[in-house]
Amino acid sequence: MEWIYILPVLITGGASLLCILPFLKFEEDISVAASILALASSIYVATLPDHVNAFMHVDGLSKIFLIMISAIYVGVVIFSIDYIAHIENKLFQMNFYFFLLNLFVLTMLFTVIVDNIGLMWVGVEATTLASALLIATENEEAAIEATWRYIIIVSAGLVVSLIATIFIYAGTGTLSLSKLLAAHPTSQIVAVGAILAVVGYGTKAGIFPMHTWLPDAHGRAPAPVSAIFSAVLLPVALFSIVRIIGAAPILGVQDFAFWLGFLSVAIASLMTFSQRQYKRLFAYSSIENMGIALIGISVGGYGFVGAIVIIVAHAFAKSATFLLSGNVLAAYKTPFISEVKGAYKKIPLTAYLFSIGALAVTGAPPFGSFLGELLILAQVLKSFGIVWTVVLSTFIVIAFLGVNYRVARMVFSEGSSGSESDGDADHVKSPVAVAAINLALALLTTFALPVIYKML
Amino acid sequence: MHSLDSIYLLLGFVEIALVIFIQWQLYTINIIRTFSIGSFLMAAFFLVAGLVSKEVYILTLAFLTAVARGWFIPRFLVKTLKRETWREREVKPVLGVASSIIGSLLFAILGYLIYSLALQPYMSTNLAAVPIALMLQGAFLIISRSNTIAQLIGYLVMENAMYMFGYIFPELPFIVEAGIVLDVLGIVMISGIIIRLREDSLQNGDSEFNELRG
Amino acid sequence: MLLLLSLLQLTYILLLAPLAAGILAKIEEVLESKKGPSIFQPYYDISKLFRKESIVPSAASPFFRVAPYITFALYLFLTLVLPIITAFPLTFGPVVDFIGGGLVFGAAAAIKKLAAIDSRSNYSHLGTSRSASIGALSEPIMLLIFIMLGVLSHTNNPYVINNILQTSQTWYLSLIHWFVSAAFFMVLIVETGKLPIESHGFGELGMIGQAMEMEYSGAELALYKWGSYMKHFLLMNVFMNVFVFPFFVPMQLNVAAIFWYMFINFLKIFLLLIVFALLEETVSKYRLFKIFDFVAVSFVFAFLAALVFYTTSSIGGM
Repeated sequence: MEWIYILPVLITGGASLLCILPFLKFEEDISVAASILALASSIYVATLPDHVNAFMHVDGLSKIFLIMISAIYVGVVIFSIDYIAHIENKLFQMNFYFFLLNLFVLTMLFTVIVDNIGLMWVGVEATTLASALLIATENEEAAIEATWRYIIIVSAGLVVSLIATIFIYAGTGTLSLSKLLAAHPTSQIVAVGAILAVVGYGTKAGIFPMHTWLPDAHGRAPAPVSAIFSAVLLPVALFSIVRIIGAAPILGVQDFAFWLGFLSVAIASLMTFSQRQYKRLFAYSSIENMGIALIGISVGGYGFVGAIVIIVAHAFAKSATFLLSGNVLAAYKTPFISEVKGAYKKIPLTAYLFSIGALAVTGAPPFGSFLGELLILAQVLKSFGIVWTVVLSTFIVIAFLGVNYRVARMVFSEGSSGSESDGDADHVKSPVAVAAINLALALLTTFALPVIYKML
Repeated sequence: MHSLDSIYLLLGFVEIALVIFIQWQLYTINIIRTFSIGSFLMAAFFLVAGLVSKEVYILTLAFLTAVARGWFIPRFLVKTLKRETWREREVKPVLGVASSIIGSLLFAILGYLIYSLALQPYMSTNLAAVPIALMLQGAFLIISRSNTIAQLIGYLVMENAMYMFGYIFPELPFIVEAGIVLDVLGIVMISGIIIRLREDSLQNGDSEFNELRG
Repeated sequence: MLLLLSLLQLTYILLLAPLAAGILAKIEEVLESKKGPSIFQPYYDISKLFRKESIVPSAASPFFRVAPYITFALYLFLTLVLPIITAFPLTFGPVVDFIGGGLVFGAAAAIKKLAAIDSRSNYSHLGTSRSASIGALSEPIMLLIFIMLGVLSHTNNPYVINNILQTSQTWYLSLIHWFVSAAFFMVLIVETGKLPIESHGFGELGMIGQAMEMEYSGAELALYKWGSYMKHFLLMNVFMNVFVFPFFVPMQLNVAAIFWYMFINFLKIFLLLIVFALLEETVSKYRLFKIFDFVAVSFVFAFLAALVFYTTSSIGGM
């Protein structure tokens, strides 16, 4: 019954193959079916006991990620059907889009279940390959430029983590995750490797100082692609860091990760104030959230639980927000914050959910992200003292204000273009429903805390 | 010191000097050719090392280096240039040429410092200093240029450095190695597509992306 | 005996330096399929200038007049202390080391610049500022090169360095030595004003060294010209005798060997002149701002030598 654990991977693989076949015209239906099947099989896998063999390493963390990725996948596929069809001047046909999307999900699912840090690297690098062209779905200059920055910065960062993998192999003689997790090597060369891994995978997760690709890519990608990037691609990169730090829990490495996370939160929260485009605003909010999660991973203990809670809650909330930003873009035809006014009149449903989503991603209670932040701050207080905790909280509050002030302005200001709900974008109910469900799930994460805690 | 190690260091420093030369050049065609020369030199070294040690692994490395990065990728990149290849050049480097040359040197020195602080006590030879330096130089090449091909060459230099690491450290399992090669080829192919699209779009207008500010 | 040899060396340089310049000009012309001037043309030029009247700008101070004599004397002094025809120190050899020699070169250049400023001519000022801004970069490189040579030989003495490179194959073949040589070659091009840096025509906007002697005439100009021929000849000798080809330089006091070596030495210089001529015929002049890129590369080579040294030293040299 070992194959059951790779069922989600097999399903998405099959779906992407079916999408690329030229004679099949049902790429949407295939993808929707595949995503639902993948979600179902992921949930089924979660009920099974942990499984470790020479190729697979499926434990509680993997299961959480499997469910999270598949759940976001369902929403993004459903949203994509309408959204991508409306893009003019596409770089490629719909079936190729779905082929890449399925392949992208496949690489992420693969990354979280392999028991080999070398193959884990291959998986993360393959996500770059599969997702790069998705950013350029809208064939225009800025999108292509953003794609290019994504490819070159992320690949360069991942070369660093490949070196890290080689170092760890040189220090321990094995790449097997389960052996590393059992052995806990602490030699200096492994420590250097772990630090490099944090830097390298951190590039992909949007961690300072190599975060610069992230706002460009998120800002220019079509809404569903931004959603899946922010919601699960960044956490999958963090997942690799979790594995490496879990395998080599060395104090210096953890401190290094803490400060990188801290700087990410600081930079991102300050940058929210200079943003003029709402998608870039949320991209910086993603950097901030990933920074907090990295802090949680580095401090361990309750902080680690908090990090996972934040990752899950952020995934649902941020995907909802990015999907809704697609609706806003469709309604107003502008990416700029200052040009969106009075959204609550024009697209009421989207607008209200949008403002709730903004609250959710910045850690307002009662959403899961609030709980996660509390857990992490408590652990930071224990490890680093009151001063750093206060500074960190200040940055979190700054980001909260920076994001929510702008979103409130977009939604509740009196618009000059005050035409009553023209329903042009709002009439599409399924995307709004997807976003609403995702937001509800973000809320539910709070109550899922005991389950998450048990699985870890 | 083992004579092969001496040759390794010789090669390493020649590669470093070649990266400096790339940093000096503004014409894309020169950059591509210099990279090609560097790859062939490395392939020659791996060939010699493989013949001496009689390890198939290193011979494979030599073959892959020569074919993929000495021949195929440079050829592919030259093809993506427009007809008049000699005209193609960096119009507006992010950093001035003289300062970027010095910057590249500083990164090489930084690489040596990182090596001597973190790794030296655990190594029997100083070989590992070279690939670290080369890697940082590659990263710096990416930062200091805005030309797509120069940036891709920077990435490939980092990759060359990684192969030089591969020589020092024990071989990785085959499946991982194969995955790496496939990934890297994929990256170059995707980059090729993007380069084409990008050159087209840059022809039409200015290359200032106000939308990507902030 | 040593004193006689010193005088011999002085005469050798004094007489042959203009010839080297003449040969270079001739090779270049031949490469351009022209007949070219006689290789003795620099001698004719100098002797003619000595017979001409000197004109001094009315605004200049007496220093303007004296400067060519001082610089000429400094170059004469340098001929006595560098390894040109012998690899053992002559009478004045112990007076200065490599850095001292560098300082004397620097002093001559500084005096020349001061005199050029003193002439109150715009062209001279232009040349001075250009030369000073390039020199500000190239002189630290010189220093770095000397430091690297010091690391190599544990001394600053050019004679000792020559002996080490002549006898130790390890050092001669080491990457440190070749990186330093590459750096010195590039600095040599800058210092002697060869083509990618400076071209030799009149009314050239990119002129550097030439512009500084714009206001001179008569005997002073002759001394300047002769002095700069000597400077170039000395630098080329240092490059060949100390860096690239330290062989055959007699290490023992043997008059016949020294006599023969004088021919071999000129042959070495001739080879270098051919390289220079080929270079001048193939590359075009850099724009003024690209000179700094060139100097930066030379700096990098000198510094990479240090990096090689540290990488290889702790495991026992290459």
